[in-house]
Amino acid sequence: MLEIKNLHASIAGKEILKGLNLTVKEGEVHAIMGPNGAGKSTLSNVLTGHPAYTVTAGEVLFRGKNLLEMSPEERAREGLFLSFQYPVEIPGVSMVNFMRTAVNEKRKHEGKSLLSATDFLKLMREKKALVGMDNKLTKRAVNEGFSGGEKKRNEIFQMAMLEPCLSILDETDSGLDIDALRVVAEGVNALKTPQTASIVITHYQRLLDYIVPDFVHVLADGKIVRTAGKELALELEEQGYAFLNK
Amino acid sequence: MPFLINNPFAQPCTTLNKSKQYITISAEEKREWVLINEPHVDLHIVQEVNSSLLLHVIALPKLTDSDDTQGVNITVEHVGKGCRTEIYGMGLLGSKQRCDITTRVLHTVGGGYSSQLIKMVLGDNSKASFKGELKILPNAQQVEAYQTNRNILLSRHAEMVTEPQLEIYADDVKASHGATTGQLDESAVFYMQQRGIGRDTAYRLLLCAFFDDVLRTITDEKVREQLMEQSMHSVDSIIQ
Repeated sequence: MLEIKNLHASIAGKEILKGLNLTVKEGEVHAIMGPNGAGKSTLSNVLTGHPAYTVTAGEVLFRGKNLLEMSPEERAREGLFLSFQYPVEIPGVSMVNFMRTAVNEKRKHEGKSLLSATDFLKLMREKKALVGMDNKLTKRAVNEGFSGGEKKRNEIFQMAMLEPCLSILDETDSGLDIDALRVVAEGVNALKTPQTASIVITHYQRLLDYIVPDFVHVLADGKIVRTAGKELALELEEQGYAFLNK
Repeated sequence: MPFLINNPFAQPCTTLNKSKQYITISAEEKREWVLINEPHVDLHIVQEVNSSLLLHVIALPKLTDSDDTQGVNITVEHVGKGCRTEIYGMGLLGSKQRCDITTRVLHTVGGGYSSQLIKMVLGDNSKASFKGELKILPNAQQVEAYQTNRNILLSRHAEMVTEPQLEIYADDVKASHGATTGQLDESAVFYMQQRGIGRDTAYRLLLCAFFDDVLRTITDEKVREQLMEQSMHSVDSIIQ
């Protein structure tokens, strides 16, 4: 599904990713852990096409296509989803209007007919139930006045609505208490299919108690320096990243 | 008042006299006016006791005449107690258009309320100005008066000049004023793109949202809906 080869990327002239390699196949969950400043958020920004980042070398294939040539919206329509570390508030734009535009842009891209208002509201109801999203929230403007936990749940709700093939969860656990964390993780697990994959970026092991990864990678200084199974997360939790300095 | 039109699309007014118009809103009377693309407006409105005024001034790009100029000059004076004034302004300008809005709100007696919300979006080489004077005289106690001006520049060549002014001579009042000029929130644009929404559509949604609190206060449903649609088309012509 996703093949990253020798990826180098920089922001404002400073190189952050320095030859990153990663392959994600259908049905897999990959966790990326690492110390602050290792390049974890840069990776998600580069994959989604954030304009502040420049790719200086390497290639990324997403479902066989050159991801780096696509605009951010094309990447999303192709099935790439990012759950933002800091979801953006958009005053005045209602959740319904926002979501309907997004869903229909994707359907247009896939050559499907646009959803009618009735069918769209039905889909919203279904997905709200799936991720435990409060009715009150979908009646408001996008993320406006949402608490930290509500914003993260809204990300998972949008993920449910858009049914991406590859989801990147960027520190979805930050700012969540343990109950909110469990609800969000349950939502992610409910959306998991053999055809989809996820990349979970996190500082802490605790999210991985709920979203169990097939692989854990350690990202340090712009490269993946270690890859193992889920037991690596536990080891990192106990021993930290001290081994990186040896 | 033939030049104060409620259905501007059916009958645009071109016969406006360039000299100042004096209007009195009598005691207890409620007036609502929507002025759309009036090239020159110069009003002096006197409000008597317990009267109310809801005024919208709308400037949309005229696609046929790309460098037109619009000048709006409005003075509102409360001479009776308990008056209410709401002034909303919306400007969406492109090419070499120019729009200058000047407001003067004078609270000469107490117990009145006034609010002003002026929002401008400027593209291409357009220019606009807002000069707002809000004056609360010594005898005008227990007045509530607000003035807000928000502007978005879509182009490096667009220019906005804003001069919000507040003069208060009474001591028991609630009043505020503020002005901001900036660009569209690029982090919101990227967030929308990440959900598959194209850049142009994201701009359209954000700009329509920006004007929403001006347009939704128009009570005439037909005019409101027409203007919302019209401004959406206008947004398209400006962002391209």
